[in-house]
Amino acid sequence: MGLVESGKLPKPLTSLLNTSRKYSLWIFQWGLACCAIEMGAALGAPRYDVMRLGVIPLPASPRQADLVCISGTVTDKMVPAIRRLYDQMPDPKYVISMGSCANCGGPYWDSYSVTKGIDQVIPVDVYVPGCPPRPEALLEGIVLLQERIGKEDMATRWKGDPIVVS
Amino acid sequence: MTALTERQQLAYANAQAADGRVNLEFETDEGMTLNMGPQHPATHGTLRIVVKLDGEEVISCEPVMGYMHRGYEKLTEVRTYPQVTTLINRIDWLGSFANEVPFILAAEKLMDIEAPPRAQWIRTVLFELSRIANISLFVGDMALHIGAISAAFYAFRDREYVLNQIEAATGGRFHPNFDRIGGLKDDLPKGWIADTKASMEKIRDFCDEMETLVEGNEIFQARTRGIGVIPADVALAYGMTGANLRASGVDWDLRRDQPVGLAWNECDWNVVTHPDGDSFARFWVRLQEIRESTKIVDQLLDGLPAGPIMAKVPRIIKVPEGEAWVATENPLGEMGYYVVSKGDLGPFRVKIRTASFNNVAVIPWVTRGVYVPDVVTILASLYFILGDIDR
Amino acid sequence: MEETPEAPEVDEARQAVIDKLTEELGEAVVGSHIRPGDDVWVRVTAESWRTAGLVVRDHLSFRAFEYLSAIDWLPNPYGKNEDAPTDPRPEPNTDIVTGYAGGDTRFQVIARVQSYTSKLGLNLKVDLPDDDLSLATWLPVYAGVNWHEREVHEMFGITFTGHPYLQNLYLPGEFEGHPLRKDFPLLARFVKPWPGIVDVEPMPASDDEAEAETEEAAE
Repeated sequence: MGLVESGKLPKPLTSLLNTSRKYSLWIFQWGLACCAIEMGAALGAPRYDVMRLGVIPLPASPRQADLVCISGTVTDKMVPAIRRLYDQMPDPKYVISMGSCANCGGPYWDSYSVTKGIDQVIPVDVYVPGCPPRPEALLEGIVLLQERIGKEDMATRWKGDPIVVS
Repeated sequence: MTALTERQQLAYANAQAADGRVNLEFETDEGMTLNMGPQHPATHGTLRIVVKLDGEEVISCEPVMGYMHRGYEKLTEVRTYPQVTTLINRIDWLGSFANEVPFILAAEKLMDIEAPPRAQWIRTVLFELSRIANISLFVGDMALHIGAISAAFYAFRDREYVLNQIEAATGGRFHPNFDRIGGLKDDLPKGWIADTKASMEKIRDFCDEMETLVEGNEIFQARTRGIGVIPADVALAYGMTGANLRASGVDWDLRRDQPVGLAWNECDWNVVTHPDGDSFARFWVRLQEIRESTKIVDQLLDGLPAGPIMAKVPRIIKVPEGEAWVATENPLGEMGYYVVSKGDLGPFRVKIRTASFNNVAVIPWVTRGVYVPDVVTILASLYFILGDIDR
Repeated sequence: MEETPEAPEVDEARQAVIDKLTEELGEAVVGSHIRPGDDVWVRVTAESWRTAGLVVRDHLSFRAFEYLSAIDWLPNPYGKNEDAPTDPRPEPNTDIVTGYAGGDTRFQVIARVQSYTSKLGLNLKVDLPDDDLSLATWLPVYAGVNWHEREVHEMFGITFTGHPYLQNLYLPGEFEGHPLRKDFPLLARFVKPWPGIVDVEPMPASDDEAEAETEEAAE
């Protein structure tokens, strides 16, 4: 894939590849706390069906997932596991931080055992605020992420540099 | 290839496993350790179960908790009473109105305030709605863990009706934060009663569906009957409560036996018990409890008294000095709050007695000698919520 | 034994519990309190803790175990840190005032047991001196107390002699300190300035007349 690495991929091909990537996200089937129930409603309930966006909630293993949604409170004890799971995901990978606990510590901002925000540990692409955010809010977050993926530069993503999206 | 000793082979396999964090560790003497780690599709959240196996049989099984420990008891000490109400919604995050009620009742007991009857009745209705929302997810989830995935979709779909009603009344699908010391935040919206009765019909249809789909299924029966039997005296010694206790044959339901002022004795319903004490019994008891809850909601909505929904409380709530314990029959079991107050704006110490903490304590006892798939069945049937265990 | 001064109501069932307990344990019962119609508290000595457990389980048939926890009666020396940094810090109150059934020490272990036959519950309290924060384990009495004692050990630092595995339950291995003690500060409240300082609103009904009015009406 010398074309991708060197950045000489023609624009229509890039947008084709981006489109195909953004409409076939596999979301890692994992949730931490209350937001996981809303995520489950978004993923599994027929009303907020997330499969219509192309996001398939099948993988129970991080090795086969593109997208992980950190939904719920992140405690200090759990952080090594989260980091490990994030490292196990293959590139290109995306992270949605769902709920105020994962964004910034949330209602437990002064607790002795809660990590104040998962972005201290893994890079986050989209923050979905709420406590818990409605499933529609999560769907909007996924749509925003898809728009972001659509505008990505594949060379930067391939090299592993931090992505700056205009 | 040079001949490797068995020790070297095991070391190699260990190294591979440790590197890839495949959740196995081989031990040479005691058998295999299987780590159902904090991320696992079969645990209800971030619970880590370390299982020592002899072949397929479990020698010992130790749950490791704390991955969702948020420090509730410390946090309540620096918050005012209304702020604590907001926080404790999130302990049992599926049936969340039910978490607020015992705390509010304890504060009302110390302040010597009684909420008006309409507020008590509506509290009971919302309590039962949150019970239905909670246990219907259990029903779908237990089938999911056993392998019948479609039941989970039905559960999520029919739960939405109940969540709609809770949202129409309180503004939040879960975490309603609706209970106030002295009553409720708001009255019910127009047309809510008729809508809720319609959704109770749908929930009863859901129960019938689950009975034919899941309970009658012979694979489900083969996987749950006789698995994880907990006799009544063991259940009492461990402090198990709720449907787990009733499935072991103990006829104890706090709604009937230790009334706290809510409206359960105003309507006609049964306490469901089952003599077996196995996983099937726990599933069956909970399914019947959903039916009983729909009956309670229908009867209460028929006879809802008119009146104010908030008693006269001062604007700034200062609870007088004292200690109070209130426990209610939450969807997961018995949840109680021991509130120690020193006359301040906020509590001095709150001990949160959660049902799942005691329910999960029995796991090392009940999983001796079972097979690995049965561990998953037992976990699913004991039904805990991690926020309830870890607080 | 106290009776509330207004209502000469005597809760006979609960009084019988206290009497039976005093009969079995004698001088080990050092305090008690009844809220009539509601609840009963009994305080025992630390040496008799195990015996008290066996007595309530076997002779008084409190067979169901609810919880075991502890209370630290020291008032919070840090406050909530919600005041403006220029306001004078309030003097921390160091008086230790204990609650129902009395108590002389800073730490008290409290346990609750329940009887499903008589539908009564019993709160048992025990004082622990500051220099000897240890108590006999209740494992032979109720099997479910295992994790409760582990939690109290990690949160308060109270040792339970005879417990086979007093390791941390909730906290990660490297955690230092005992969080539920009152002198364990919540550091996030110190590190972040309280956002509400910027726009300070007066508390509702902050004038004394409105408060007195509502309190009068509530009586």
